Amino acid sequence: MSDPVLVVKGLTVYRETHAAVQNVSFTVPAGMDTAIVGPNGAGKSTLIQTILGILPRRSGEVFVLGQPLSPKGKLPAAVRQQIAYLPQNFLFDRRIPITVSEFVGLGWDRLGLQLPWTGGRTRRHAVQQALTQVDAWHLSHKLVSALSGGELKRVLLAYCLVRPRRLLILDEAPAGLDVRNESEFYRLLHQLKKEQDWAILQVSHDLDMVRRSCDRVLCINRTLLCQGTPDHSLTPENLSLAYGPEFVRYRHSC
Amino acid sequence: MALNLFAIAILASLANFSTMTIQSEFVRVIELFQLPFMHRALMGSVLTGFMGGLMGSFTILRQLSFFSDTLGHSALLGISIGFLLGLDPGLVLLPFAVLFALGVTYFLERTRLWTDALLNIVYSSSLAIGIILLSFRDDYKGGITHLLFGDILAMQTTDLIFSGVLLVVCAIFIGLTLRSQILLTLHEPMAIARGVSVSAQRTAFIVLLSLVVGISIKAIGVLLISAFVVIPACAARLLSNTFVQYILISAGLGALGAAIGMMVSAFFDLPSGPSIVTVQLVIFLLAMLAPNTRKLAL
Repeated sequence: MSDPVLVVKGLTVYRETHAAVQNVSFTVPAGMDTAIVGPNGAGKSTLIQTILGILPRRSGEVFVLGQPLSPKGKLPAAVRQQIAYLPQNFLFDRRIPITVSEFVGLGWDRLGLQLPWTGGRTRRHAVQQALTQVDAWHLSHKLVSALSGGELKRVLLAYCLVRPRRLLILDEAPAGLDVRNESEFYRLLHQLKKEQDWAILQVSHDLDMVRRSCDRVLCINRTLLCQGTPDHSLTPENLSLAYGPEFVRYRHSC
Repeated sequence: MALNLFAIAILASLANFSTMTIQSEFVRVIELFQLPFMHRALMGSVLTGFMGGLMGSFTILRQLSFFSDTLGHSALLGISIGFLLGLDPGLVLLPFAVLFALGVTYFLERTRLWTDALLNIVYSSSLAIGIILLSFRDDYKGGITHLLFGDILAMQTTDLIFSGVLLVVCAIFIGLTLRSQILLTLHEPMAIARGVSVSAQRTAFIVLLSLVVGISIKAIGVLLISAFVVIPACAARLLSNTFVQYILISAGLGALGAAIGMMVSAFFDLPSGPSIVTVQLVIFLLAMLAPNTRKLAL
């Protein structure tokens, strides 16, 4: 079995004065789709933002592709290239004049010091392929601010796909998509996992989707309550522990 | 009949006079631009306009317009301190502008109050303290107008060299970090996730912006400097459809506005800095009239 793509050991994160994540440990193996579930305010987004180095940690260790995340959130550039991240809300200033192809191209770049024309034809070709893969090539000259919610999600996914990666981190990424686009979104994720061995770590509130599509589940409510396969983890007892007994009674009555 | 002939004669002489006046004005302006100080002024204004437009393109998208205005106003405090210490204000101004910019950034990042309100406090108080300090020097009271509105015509060769070197540094910085700057401007968490060192990039940008403001103060003055940063970038935004196009148009309009403004200033014998800003305003208004930009402009 290959080395895990992500290893988290005893991670504790404070937001102001309270612990948002406490002593959480888990691993994400290559080619596995791992879901993080839990109620609002359980620390799911905090957890993945800390793994990415966006938020500082109080204690614990994070290893991505075997490389440690420094206390200041630094990772080698070559490792960063292997990670793609889709935030919960892609909130941006809609007056920024950036086209879809310019934006997807940013996903291809190394983002160190480089001449602006670096990449040239290879970059353009990768952008075209990624946009075609998500059926958004026709949007390439459009401004990102002019896209609909569904189109924007597809373009964000193209930003992730434009270069081969090892780890895709999604924070409720399909939120806001209609049923058809959501199903297409998951079909693409499944394909990436199966054909390119991508590891996926995704925050989700959709327990039915998690049961159907994910290989592993981490159930958290500030601390890690359980982890394992969906059948093993999403039991009424564990859900009651995470969401409260009312939630389980409601799901049973539906 | 005689009355008609008289009227025609008057009109002809008036036309002749106005043609001669325009011709003589052209000759005067052409002769004026032969003079070395006008060469320096024209070149200095174009360099300043280009730098302002280039850095302004990111400044407005990061909502730092008021920050650049505050830097401009605070420059007066730096100049006053230089005078009071008996040092060359030009030498004090640049390190002061950089330290001041970094100090204000640190202050803004560690407070929960509103940025615009805090910047208002900083700029008005630094202006007030600067004026009070200048009042202790009787020999500089007359020079306050030069500080407020600048004097492009007084630019020296060393000023041009400083401006030229700074423009090259700004262009290299923006060019080599373009992709990181764009992603950082668009979505900071995604930039961090890709390994962009946000604090280093932000500090480098703020230092360069403060140097651009500090270098340009002599030519433009503390009151108008932010216009050089803001107006070309806003006009460029109305005229551009891609990010790269936006940066290039912003820098180009900054330089174009400065060159036309200098000519207008020479032709109508108007103050140079305000003439350039007025020309930049006209360019901005014309950009607002462009058919495909109305939706964004209004």
